[in-house]
Parts: sequence; structure tokens; C-alpha cells
Amino acid sequence: MPPARHLAASCLLTLSALGAGAGAHAADWVSYRDAYRAMVVFEKYGGPKHQLQHHLQVVPLEKGVSLEGVQLTLAGKANQVNLALDALGRTAFPLLKAAYDENAALYLGRKPGAFTVRPRVSLQPQADGVYDAAQLRAGCQQALGFARYADASMGARECGGVRFVFARRAGDIAVRLHRPDGADQALAPLPGPAFQGDPDEGLPTVVYRFAGAERAQVISANVPLAIVPLFE
Amino acid sequence: MNKFPALALAVLSGSAAAQTPATNPMPDGSRDMYVGLGLVSAARYEGARHSERKALPVLQVQWSNGVFVSGMSAGMHLSRDPRLEYGPLVELQRRRDDAGLGGGIDGVQARYSVVSLLSADVRDNRLSGMTPVATRLLGGGFLNYYLTPDWRLTGNLLAGAGNGRDGVRLDLGVQRLAMQAGPHHQVSVAAGLGLVNAAYNRAFFGVSELDSLRSGNPVYRPDGGLKDAYLGLRWNWALTPSWMLTSHLQVKRLAGDARHSPLVERPTNPTVSTAIAYRF
Repeated sequence: MPPARHLAASCLLTLSALGAGAGAHAADWVSYRDAYRAMVVFEKYGGPKHQLQHHLQVVPLEKGVSLEGVQLTLAGKANQVNLALDALGRTAFPLLKAAYDENAALYLGRKPGAFTVRPRVSLQPQADGVYDAAQLRAGCQQALGFARYADASMGARECGGVRFVFARRAGDIAVRLHRPDGADQALAPLPGPAFQGDPDEGLPTVVYRFAGAERAQVISANVPLAIVPLFE
Repeated sequence: MNKFPALALAVLSGSAAAQTPATNPMPDGSRDMYVGLGLVSAARYEGARHSERKALPVLQVQWSNGVFVSGMSAGMHLSRDPRLEYGPLVELQRRRDDAGLGGGIDGVQARYSVVSLLSADVRDNRLSGMTPVATRLLGGGFLNYYLTPDWRLTGNLLAGAGNGRDGVRLDLGVQRLAMQAGPHHQVSVAAGLGLVNAAYNRAFFGVSELDSLRSGNPVYRPDGGLKDAYLGLRWNWALTPSWMLTSHLQVKRLAGDARHSPLVERPTNPTVSTAIAYRF
């Protein structure tokens, strides 16, 4: 056999063997190094970010796949760490040199299916459910500062508001805007996604749009899953 | 915002034009390395009518201090801004002789042709009698700017090409990185231009009087300017966290004075490669 054909055949055989081996775990893993690369950008960001949260979000590629009860596992040759997911599929991402060096992978505990991971930034929730409008605007500005740091195309965007995202089983959603003059306004919940691009677009959400330097408070009777900055 | 920027193999060795791998932040003291082997089908030399198949060793290493080796290129990321990449760059330019392109780490020792050239073609070899262009280490720098995390403008300036070491090449390009084409499949596309000075064009596309006497090619003294334009498509298939199949198609068209060189038999040539790589 000519050397080139022999080489091509060898490559194809190797590829077939690897492909067969990969089939058992097809589409149920993500490289830790690739996730690390996306997540470490926030850690390296030197701007103000004390009002922000940063998570890794698991996003199934197939619509309608629930992540309820699913656990993300970081598995390498020597280390294994279980990462609990919240109702939005998010988890705090551990930046581990050992996992990076051994080229670990992230696996879903059950319901294996194609998924990807995304870095997500949101505002810190308050335990008492009371949010000053100025505080929300400042949090959104922090998130926008980071977004501009990571993405040059965000330069022309401005903060337009925040979206409170609630669990489906949160019961009646009661969010109101309280003004200093005592005039309260109920903010109506609408179905929507938690983050832009999320496949689940049916979560209860309440949007508070900024109106200049308005002095007001947003009071939520329910604990939100996330408070997502809106850039417009 | 924040689409997952899996850029790791947006550029892997084997590409004709030096392209820097995207910056790759990692823990201090760590490295990210791909090593592999595949096949490439490419023109014998820029502008040749005939192509040949070669073994294609694949190597890409990035260290936490920003230093990288990517195929025939090496450099260092100096920027801490995720929207901007810049730094020094060196590239090994392969020797060109009457057998075509070779040398360097792209595997001259493993070079062979699986398509036997007809004797008429051998006689028609336009490089026969031409002074070989020696292997050269080019030096310069790179500057890349991210329009978004997925779109990158690239620029490389390298000097020191040709036997006189006075050839200068500027590669400008745009890349759409890491489009998800299904689970574990990523596609990236690139387009670009190559600009060179007169010395570069004369080294690779010119024919001196002495070369003309020895080769039979007419004397040709090109000027600098636009040398080529290319379109590229890369497909990375991550088979497992460690194994990846990377394939690349590039079509390059010579332009300007290079295109009209008597050494050029066909101005438009494709390069196709596929390789399997292991991530360490």
C-alpha cells in the first residue's frame, strides 16, 4: 500500500475507534478548560463588581429539556466535584488549577443530552426583598461595565432596567414600585426567559424599567431566582 | 452577551498564513497543548498547478505567561484586555526549491507525493533552475481586535523573508470564530489579504537575469502591493475532552504582480487538511 494511503487508512481507523468511544458519552460533556476560559474573564475584570454575581449556566441544546434535579459533575483523572445547579441551571464555577491541568470535563449527572455552558452575570438579591432604584441602576451599570470590558460591541448600549426572574412554583408574584410620595404601582409579571437566549421563555418575570434618576423602591414579596440587567 | 467563546482551536497549525491563537487565560503555571497528525493537500508552491499530499504534524501550545507556539509560528500575548490581542510574533518560512515548498516543522522529512507527476510536468517545472529561497525565521508582531467575542480582526506583520532577508509581509483578516454547528462541532470562517513589499515579491515571484538563463523563465521584476486574498473554513470536532478532529479548507488567489509572475501556473489554489489532535 502506498505510504499516503496507509497513513490515511490509519487515520480513518483511529478516528473510527475514537468516534465509537465517544459515542457512549456523546454530547454530555463540556471541556473544563473551555469553560474556565469563559469564566475567568469576570475574575480578571478589575472594575466595580461588588453588586454582581457570576455563574456558569448549563443550557440544554434541545428545547424543553428540564434540568430539575440534575447535577453537574466536574470530573478529572484524580478529582471529582459535584456542582449543584439552581433552578436556572446555574452554579458557582470553581477555578481549579488541578482540574485545568488534568484537562477535566463537566458532565451532567443524568438525562444526558447535548448542552452548552454560558457565563451569566446578575445582580445580588436582597434578603428583605427591598431594592432602591438607585441601587438597581448602580448594579446594572456595574454589569454594563463588565459587558463592555468583555465585548467591544456593547459600547453603545445603556442600562434600560432589570428583570426579576421567579420560579414557576413561586406562587403569586407580587412586585410593586414604591415611591416616596406613597404612590405604589404594581409591576405585572409576564412570561419570559431569565437570560437572553435561554430556551425556556416561560418563566414568571417582572421588568422594572429605569426612569431617569427616579427615587423609588422595588419591593418583591417573592425571592427572585435572578435579577438580570437589561441593556438597550 | 457572553456567548461561550470556545476559541481554543480557531487556529491550528497548517494554515498558510500565520494566525495567532486567541488569548487563553489559564491558571499560573498551566499550559494548554494540542499535538496531532494528519494530512494536507496543497499546491507544491504558491501558484503551482500541481498539488501534493503531505503528512501534517499539528502542534499548538499556550502557556499561562502568554507565550504560544502554533504550527510554524510562535509569539506572546501581551494584552490583558479581552478585546485586544497584541505581541511579538516569529514564523519559520519554509524553503522553496525546485521540488516545491518544504522544510521547517511542517514535515519536510515526511514529504511525499501520492500523485505521480507526468514526466512532461516535471520538465515543465517552472522552479527548475531557479535559485532556491532559503528557510528564514521571520520576525514581527500581531495585533487583533475583537469586534464582538466572536468576530476578530487580525493583523500580522512579519519581516525577514527571502534570501536577502528584506521581504516584508502584512496579513490582514477577519474571522468569525467558534460557530456552534451541533454538539461538539464548531466552525469558524476567515477571510483576508496579504500585502508584501517589492523585495518579498521579487524573492518568491521574481525572475532575475541569472535565474532566467538557468530556468528559461522570462526576466520578471515585480513590485510590492497586494499579493493574495483568501477564504478559509475550519471545522473542529471534539470527539472527547482530549481528542479532536480538526479540518481546514482554504482557497487562496494570488493578486497583483505576484499573480502575473512567470512562475505562477495557476493563481487560485485550495489547501485542504485534516488532522487528529490530542489535548494535553
